[in-house]
Amino acid sequence: MLALVVAGVLLLRWVPRYGWFPLGLTLLTAATALAITAGQARRYRRSARGIRVGRIEADVVGVLGTTAAVALLGALALVVVVALPLR
Amino acid sequence: MRSSRDEPSEHAPETAGAPAIEGASPPGRRGWSARILGGGTEPDPRFTLANERTFLAWIRTALALLAGGVAVEAFTSDTFASPVRTALAVVLLLLAMVLAVAAGVRWLAVERAMRRQAPLPLSILVPVLAGGGALVAAAFLVVVLGNA
Repeated sequence: MLALVVAGVLLLRWVPRYGWFPLGLTLLTAATALAITAGQARRYRRSARGIRVGRIEADVVGVLGTTAAVALLGALALVVVVALPLR
Repeated sequence: MRSSRDEPSEHAPETAGAPAIEGASPPGRRGWSARILGGGTEPDPRFTLANERTFLAWIRTALALLAGGVAVEAFTSDTFASPVRTALAVVLLLLAMVLAVAAGVRWLAVERAMRRQAPLPLSILVPVLAGGGALVAAAFLVVVLGNA
């Protein structure tokens, strides 16, 4: 979550150079970090309960969602570097 | 001797003490999720959680590379010429994307292997990260020595 925030804040440095599109990326990372934070307590309870009863379901949605979010962020950052004109 | 796991608890869910059934999904697991995991039995929860932690470590690495790519493009305009800066940033961002996707694929492969009690698959992440990191470091070295 903190790594996402750091990456998102660094993207702000691109705003003077590439316009407002990087700001959208920062908002995307902030939204993802917020969603992760909001689910932290639920995930902790689920993990603790799973350890107690000796059985836990793999978090397919969480893992694949995080993968998709980071891959999308990387792809959009590539678009900024390769396709957007410098201001 | 009874372990704490065997003791009845008012919080014990319906799955406590339930025998693992080969090929069966636990109650409540959605169909597509079970299809992605490919059947088998739930492994020890500590292994499932360890797999998730390893996935998160790779995702942190991917995010660090992404931040590195952004930083190279944003902060090194006095050090590198524009094409070099762009190329380094693109390599770092591509590496971040590949690592993120490969981390998800690796998590799924390991989870499936554990559910079938099969040997854990070899990860492609390590050679990709080592090769990519070495490539970027070599490029930095060449450019910095060339400028000196």
